[in-house]
Amino acid sequence: MKNLFDNIRSKPAGGILILFCTIQIVAILGGLLYPEHFRYLNPANIAVLLKSMSPLGIMAIGVGVLMISGEFDLSVGTLYTFCAIVTATMVKEYTLSPYLAMLVGIIVGIIAGLIHGNIVNRFTIPSFIVTLGAMLLWKGGTLLYHGAKSLRYKYESETYKTVLTGDIGVVDASFLWFIGVGIVFYFIVHHHKIGNHFFAVGGNPEAAIAIGINPKRVKLIAFAIAGGCAALSGVVAMSRVGSVQPGGGLGLELEAIAACVIGGCALMGGRGSIIGIMLGTALIYTIQDLLLLLRAPGFYFEMFVGGLIVLAVIINVTIRKRI
Amino acid sequence: MNQINYYECKNVSKRYGNLTALDNVDFHIAKNEVVGLLGDNGAGKSTLIKMMSGVVAPDTGDVFVDGKETKISTRKQSEEIAGIETIYQNSALCDDMTIIRNIFMGREITKFFGFMDHKKMEDLSLEVLESGVHISGIDSPLKEIGALSGGQKQAVAIARAVYFKRKILLLDEPTSALSVRETERVLKYVTELKNENVSSVVVTHNLYHAFQVCDRFVVMSHGKVVFEKNKSDTNLEEVTEQVIKV
Repeated sequence: MKNLFDNIRSKPAGGILILFCTIQIVAILGGLLYPEHFRYLNPANIAVLLKSMSPLGIMAIGVGVLMISGEFDLSVGTLYTFCAIVTATMVKEYTLSPYLAMLVGIIVGIIAGLIHGNIVNRFTIPSFIVTLGAMLLWKGGTLLYHGAKSLRYKYESETYKTVLTGDIGVVDASFLWFIGVGIVFYFIVHHHKIGNHFFAVGGNPEAAIAIGINPKRVKLIAFAIAGGCAALSGVVAMSRVGSVQPGGGLGLELEAIAACVIGGCALMGGRGSIIGIMLGTALIYTIQDLLLLLRAPGFYFEMFVGGLIVLAVIINVTIRKRI
Repeated sequence: MNQINYYECKNVSKRYGNLTALDNVDFHIAKNEVVGLLGDNGAGKSTLIKMMSGVVAPDTGDVFVDGKETKISTRKQSEEIAGIETIYQNSALCDDMTIIRNIFMGREITKFFGFMDHKKMEDLSLEVLESGVHISGIDSPLKEIGALSGGQKQAVAIARAVYFKRKILLLDEPTSALSVRETERVLKYVTELKNENVSSVVVTHNLYHAFQVCDRFVVMSHGKVVFEKNKSDTNLEEVTEQVIKV
């Protein structure tokens, strides 16, 4: 038993897992004890909760992979909107099938990530600066490409509708996309050799070079993943909502970084896990949901996320020190 | 001394702007020997180590591996052609990764499509840790490197180099961060490696350590080799004098 506990604690997601389970247990007990006043277990509540976390979650997975490799991407929020608008335009103007349009959107995201990565690599400037610039670039690019009007996403495919917006009981399709992306990247990051290289390059770039890993190539792949995930999350969100706002998405990049940090990713790279990032996202939305159910003023929601980030990192650090 | 050297460089020079880091240096590493590379700060030892490991390319001069003239200009070439591995004081390991992942970093064993064979890597890691090294206190290869002591880290780095059949270890200040007992262990390990046909170059400021393990001493000063003698032909006083005289 003690061994199991030590094992959980030593994992990057260990602290967050303990915190997440504790909050779930308290919330579920609360829901069971006061079903009338505290509707945590109400199917409608669960459905909304699962539905809401997908866009941030998918984006955070990409951002997290990049963070593990030791770099940031601040442009994912505006890239998310840009790629969604590209996808919607492909369907509207060029009558592409929504699947193909989605693919185009993701490819645009990947290309954007490759551009960011190339600039970081070639000129050896911090990714923070490059993607700060890119954040504004994609924001402006969105306005240039489409203008400031919101865009309705219309397509004629019932299957696409089901695949992206359907539901199984309380589980929304977009949540399944989130889980699917999580599983794919779990295998890439934790079981594929490129994953080992992400950790090596982020943890000790000199070691990686000394051992013959090319950090530039590895980082380029991570940037492409961040861009691709941002695009996918934009398309998934737009498909669910049915429209896209050119100004939307801004600010999501910081929430994505928050989800990663809460989930145990080291800010400077080399440490983190996909399950941690997913739990970090889930925790942000669970806290938000609990606050709404407790009728806390919604305006102040971000204050709690702020507190949660610091608290989660304190817990992670304290738990690791005790090993 | 007619045997072919594992590695040899002749008349090698390297300039950084106005600074001459290496000035017509001749250096060689033979089979079954531990070379002590000594000298004060800025003597050119680190540049020579970097050049041998392919991180820095020489401006002029020739390099021979097993007697054949070769060009080594990348880290990968020094590894593949000359079998060189560098062990730094805070060695080429990642603290947040497990011992297994560190041992196989960049040389992961894969099953299909590049997915790692965890089981095989774990078994081999156990073998690596148990073979020759006798790294004390490491009970599981699943431990993270960050949880190990400085000496254990060095030992893992060296064990990794031996496992991947390196012929030459370049140890750059390997013991400066270690406790006395750990230092003893690492040095003993380096001498034992000679039996496995692994030669070493030890860069150190500690001449006592150098005398404990090295068979030959090379003293550098201002980018030049100023002194070179076998252990049997010299003594601690002479080497010390060579190092401190400017």
